[in-house]
Amino acid sequence: MIERILLLIFFLIGFYAIIARKNIIKKIFGLTIINSAIVILFILESSSTGTGAPIMGEGIRNIVDPLPQALMLTAIVIGVCITALALAMAFRLYKAAGTFSIEEIRKALHDES
Amino acid sequence: MMNPENIVFAPVVLPLLGAALAICGKAFFKGANTRRIEYTAAFIGLVLPWAALIYTLPLVFSGNPITGVIGNWNEGIGIMYRFDGLAWLVNLLGFAVGGAAWLYASGAGPRGSEFTSIFLIQTAALAATAMTADLFNLFVCLEVMGAASYVLVTYSKKPAAVLAAFSYLMVSAAAMIFFLIGLYGLYRITGVLSYQGLSEALRNLSGSESTTAIVSLSLITAAVAIRVAVMPLYGWLPDAHAMAPHAVSAVLSGVLIKTPLFALSRILVLMPQGAGAGELMGYAGAVTALVAVVIALSQKDAKRLLAYHSISQIGYVVCAWGAAIKIGVSTSLGLGLMTAAFLHALYHALFKGLLFITVGTTIDRTGSRDVYKLRGAISILRREGKEKFPVTFLCFLAGALAISAVPPFNGFASKTAITYALKGTWEYYFLTAAGIGTAASFIKLSRIYWPLKKEEAPQPPGQEAQGVTSFPALWGAELLLGLLCIASGLAAPAIYSLVTTLFAADGGITAGTVPAFYTLDNLIKTLVILVSGVAVFKLVDTGAGGTVLRVIRERPRSFQGLFMSFALGTATLAAWLLFYR
Repeated sequence: MIERILLLIFFLIGFYAIIARKNIIKKIFGLTIINSAIVILFILESSSTGTGAPIMGEGIRNIVDPLPQALMLTAIVIGVCITALALAMAFRLYKAAGTFSIEEIRKALHDES
Repeated sequence: MMNPENIVFAPVVLPLLGAALAICGKAFFKGANTRRIEYTAAFIGLVLPWAALIYTLPLVFSGNPITGVIGNWNEGIGIMYRFDGLAWLVNLLGFAVGGAAWLYASGAGPRGSEFTSIFLIQTAALAATAMTADLFNLFVCLEVMGAASYVLVTYSKKPAAVLAAFSYLMVSAAAMIFFLIGLYGLYRITGVLSYQGLSEALRNLSGSESTTAIVSLSLITAAVAIRVAVMPLYGWLPDAHAMAPHAVSAVLSGVLIKTPLFALSRILVLMPQGAGAGELMGYAGAVTALVAVVIALSQKDAKRLLAYHSISQIGYVVCAWGAAIKIGVSTSLGLGLMTAAFLHALYHALFKGLLFITVGTTIDRTGSRDVYKLRGAISILRREGKEKFPVTFLCFLAGALAISAVPPFNGFASKTAITYALKGTWEYYFLTAAGIGTAASFIKLSRIYWPLKKEEAPQPPGQEAQGVTSFPALWGAELLLGLLCIASGLAAPAIYSLVTTLFAADGGITAGTVPAFYTLDNLIKTLVILVSGVAVFKLVDTGAGGTVLRVIRERPRSFQGLFMSFALGTATLAAWLLFYR
């Protein structure tokens, strides 16, 4: 149970960063954190289904459910892509507005248009 | 090689092949050769899949959907797919509008191998979303589609487009993480991910498990609803669609917001709790149609006005779609509603694509996006856009008449089909009121083409008018969509019967009758709506009306608001399913 509570706190930290922080880099950090929280949640869940690594061979019994691990590998890859894309956009926004603060960026771009 | 199991992957694999080819052409060749390879890639990715669609039509038409597991893995491990009438129709929508939009982009920009490549990846993701029958694969498809669309929005060089894409990315990536939480919940209680397996496992659950199932389903539905931009989850759309390059706006509004909706219908029709979720979304859709059109009427940016209309029109689609899910798609009433929903989705893709590219051409040539200031666009287009014959204006007119539901344009047919199926419910009155607002706001938008008064000087072209434009491709795309708007309006009974037969084949029932479109009642109703539209336009054109519109236009919008509305939407849906149903 304690792991789940820690994970929930971890998730909420990330969510707080996305919603409440003004700095877009910190928002992207928040996105990465909630993504990691979910990845750990899946792995935690599947680890309770067995004891051995899911590599099939002679005499191997009681393996953990391999499916969540496969899913999370995919989710990690997607998360990295999205983070990279978001950082590239943050860079372009910084070049255009000279700041990372979402409100100042909005103001700067609004005045321009 | 030619067995249907391989052919159905062509709409996914061919665009991906094209995307790879375009990038390789950029990497290894120079100049004209790069362009030649890029055009070949676009041909492979956007034209060849039509052959696969034609080849598979007889199969899905006769009620033999092609199903299986990708790569012949065991069920339960591999990814299930299902290529049926629904998938076929969504592919039809995607490739029709995608092809026209790419043609427009090749004329008016953005151009280049990278653009073509990302555009093709997005098209492939659309096709994959339409045919997947696995929850995790749906997540992957939606993420790929989303990632491609964030990049495409930023192809407009304006920094505001990057901000719009960034907000879109943050809200939809965060929503997809909630989708994963929902998936976790369902996997935990059932241990399967295919729709078929989930549907069977969810039918016999204990009390606490069924609560988990409902919360998970709410998270998944809300995450997909963000992509569809139903109220209250629409906040990201106006900026992204208004700021994107015109060709991309056409695809985003035409195809990208509908594909997730029809992919979601696959889940909802199978789940025991799906009917309730569909019902609530249908109500949200009716409200969306009316509220978004009021906001649209207040806009002064021409493309933002169109973007709010996309929300309003998707409201029509979601309203009919939700009612169909509530009643059940294998009943004749539900079938009629689902057919009407898809018909409007298809027709909206055609006329909204057309509107985005014609209005886009106009604002490029005139350098102004302000509906209140821009006038005399026809003469500016003649001077700046080399249009001896007002192609852009006439195509705009076709699109505007279609969205205002004037016969014989296609919007009339699909809106008639929706109201015919919804007759007698409160949604009917909401949608009729939205129709009046639509007519009024398109009278407002068409003022940009009205001739100048003598004393007003014509405006100089703006920065956007610079750059090389290939006019034949641009006019070709406009004429293609314009003619499709008229042709699909005239052929509406035939298209309706095709769509309804395909959906009926999916549900294993016989197709219902085609409603009569051109009856005296419908024509009188259209006339009443148009006259009311003119009256509403006159009303908002007064001083007091202008003040009201300004208040609506300048209501505060924030980044946090997007997340708050997502949380609220999810909670409402879960509460609705838990306590009310």
